[in-house]
Amino acid sequence: MQLVNLAIRNLFRNARRTLITMSAIGCGLSLVLMMVGLQAGQYADMLRIGISTLAGHVVVQADGWQEEREPEQLLSGADAIRSELAAAFPDATVTPRLYLGGLLTSPYNSSGVMLRGGVPSAEAAVDTLDDKIVQGEWLADDDDRGILVGAKLADVLQVGVGDKVVYMGQGPDQDEMVSRMFRVRGVFKTGGVELDGMSVMVTLAAAREVIEKPDSAHQVALHIADPEESDAAYDKALALVGRDGRDVLEWPDALPELVHFIEIDRVSGDVMMAVMGLIVAMGVLNTVLMSVLERTKEFGVLMAIGMRPRRLAGLVLLEAAFLGVLGSLAGLVLGGALVAYLVSYGIDYSAYMGESLEMEGLVLSTHMFGAWDPDRMGTYVVATVVVTFLAGLYPAYHLSRLEPVEALRAP
Amino acid sequence: MSTVSVRGLVRHYQQGDVTVKALDGVDLDIGKGEFTTLMGPSGSGKTTLLNQIGGLDQPDAGTISIGGVEISKLSSGQLADVRLRKLGFVFQSYNLVPVLSAYENAEFVLLLQGMPAKERRERVMQTLKDVGLEGMEHRRPGELSGGQQQRVAVARAIAGRPALVLADEPTANLDSHTSESLIELMKQLNQEHGITFLFSTHDPMVMDAAHRVIHMRDGTIEEDERK
Repeated sequence: MQLVNLAIRNLFRNARRTLITMSAIGCGLSLVLMMVGLQAGQYADMLRIGISTLAGHVVVQADGWQEEREPEQLLSGADAIRSELAAAFPDATVTPRLYLGGLLTSPYNSSGVMLRGGVPSAEAAVDTLDDKIVQGEWLADDDDRGILVGAKLADVLQVGVGDKVVYMGQGPDQDEMVSRMFRVRGVFKTGGVELDGMSVMVTLAAAREVIEKPDSAHQVALHIADPEESDAAYDKALALVGRDGRDVLEWPDALPELVHFIEIDRVSGDVMMAVMGLIVAMGVLNTVLMSVLERTKEFGVLMAIGMRPRRLAGLVLLEAAFLGVLGSLAGLVLGGALVAYLVSYGIDYSAYMGESLEMEGLVLSTHMFGAWDPDRMGTYVVATVVVTFLAGLYPAYHLSRLEPVEALRAP
Repeated sequence: MSTVSVRGLVRHYQQGDVTVKALDGVDLDIGKGEFTTLMGPSGSGKTTLLNQIGGLDQPDAGTISIGGVEISKLSSGQLADVRLRKLGFVFQSYNLVPVLSAYENAEFVLLLQGMPAKERRERVMQTLKDVGLEGMEHRRPGELSGGQQQRVAVARAIAGRPALVLADEPTANLDSHTSESLIELMKQLNQEHGITFLFSTHDPMVMDAAHRVIHMRDGTIEEDERK
């Protein structure tokens, strides 16, 4: 108890130095927490958009389609799968999708496209593409002649709402070309080069007609209301519709590139933050070592009156630990406030980066919001205390080897 | 049995190519309750002898016993225990812990000894009363005069009831009036509580008060004068 008391008083013996070091720890940690919060917000955004546009929380696909993406790898009985999932998950949205590559032609130009066939109302429920319509309107579920095109593609083809375009792609047997005429119902603008320049959307029925496979889809995606329930939903869906020849995947397996990208980005962030931690640790080491060196004589006196060098080393480690705890508390308060601000108001980069940012095929808003990541933030807070404590090890070691008579001779 | 018994004590230092014979075969016995001073010119070996007896430095040769315990071969941890249980120190420049109050400075040794709280409190209050600091328990060293700080140092030295108090020029930083009063205090503690004191000093007032004056020169005892 006396050691704890003494350690706290020693810390405030040179209050200005202690406060400066605490501020360095606190500012460093709060910046780290802010970066973690921003990253968490960005990852959450990417996953939310990725899950809604590229997959679902759970997807059912033909065996092998996930890896090969061949157009003929179709899921048969897609409507039955959709019905079974819809019955089992009444609050969820189930969207069958067909993805077809081809060429879209207007009287003026032609361009390669990726055509998505889906149920427009269901897609609107899970995706935000319907909010990005800048001309015309979203497709009706029974509008099998309508097509939605990206703004850039519309420019290339020089078409607008009401104009005719012709889609050409592989037919049902992959050995002949088929074509189908559509009329442009709407033009969307997401800000993404790939989406705006290459994507078109038609109804599922229209896409099925192109390949003449009435009950087919490449993917039936299940979007549940609470993403936290994704594991349970996967187990339930697997038991319900899992069969030979089908892959039932949860979103991390359905979006491996995105998950991998996030992991790599997170590790890069950790490396950067470790460098920042090292800089803070050097600052703490400097403070603790200075305070030990200038008290050498006093430590000699304490040894003379019978204090063991090991206890003295413990005193210095306690001082370092308190410095770490106080600095971390300051960082936690400041960092917590910054993250809370980012969660509520975010940072708007649109003046520098435009309205949107394309990353991993996803179109993200440049008004970035933060999110809480308690596990990672907690780890950084604990790591800061540990690093500060470790920075006290060298001064403590120095002290444990000090001879009392040498210490007493110090100025 | 002597409180301190020193036999054939040798301590040499190397300063460049020169070997300094700080102690060169010292034999000395100090009995219980003695009030002894070491005197001699600078470099005569007074402080080195005090450091050796205090277990703060290791000898090159010879033996030292404190209260029957041979200390010259002990580990640093065991020496710390001997200092804690058997010795008290008073330094020239007080050397109090500046962030602790007078009470806490005196209490520190007892805390290290593991004395129970109630007994510790009674002991500290009595000791501070003995050194004339009643009512000043909560003052920190910076709020005390030089003489008062040295009294706190004496309280710290005697609070653990050591067999021997070693004082290295305790009056060197004090004016003559304060020195006289401090010497009087230590003499009183010696007479009333039987505490053994060993000083190094140049101060004639300390020498006058001592029962025994040991004259040192060139690392040896030149004369051992008993009054």
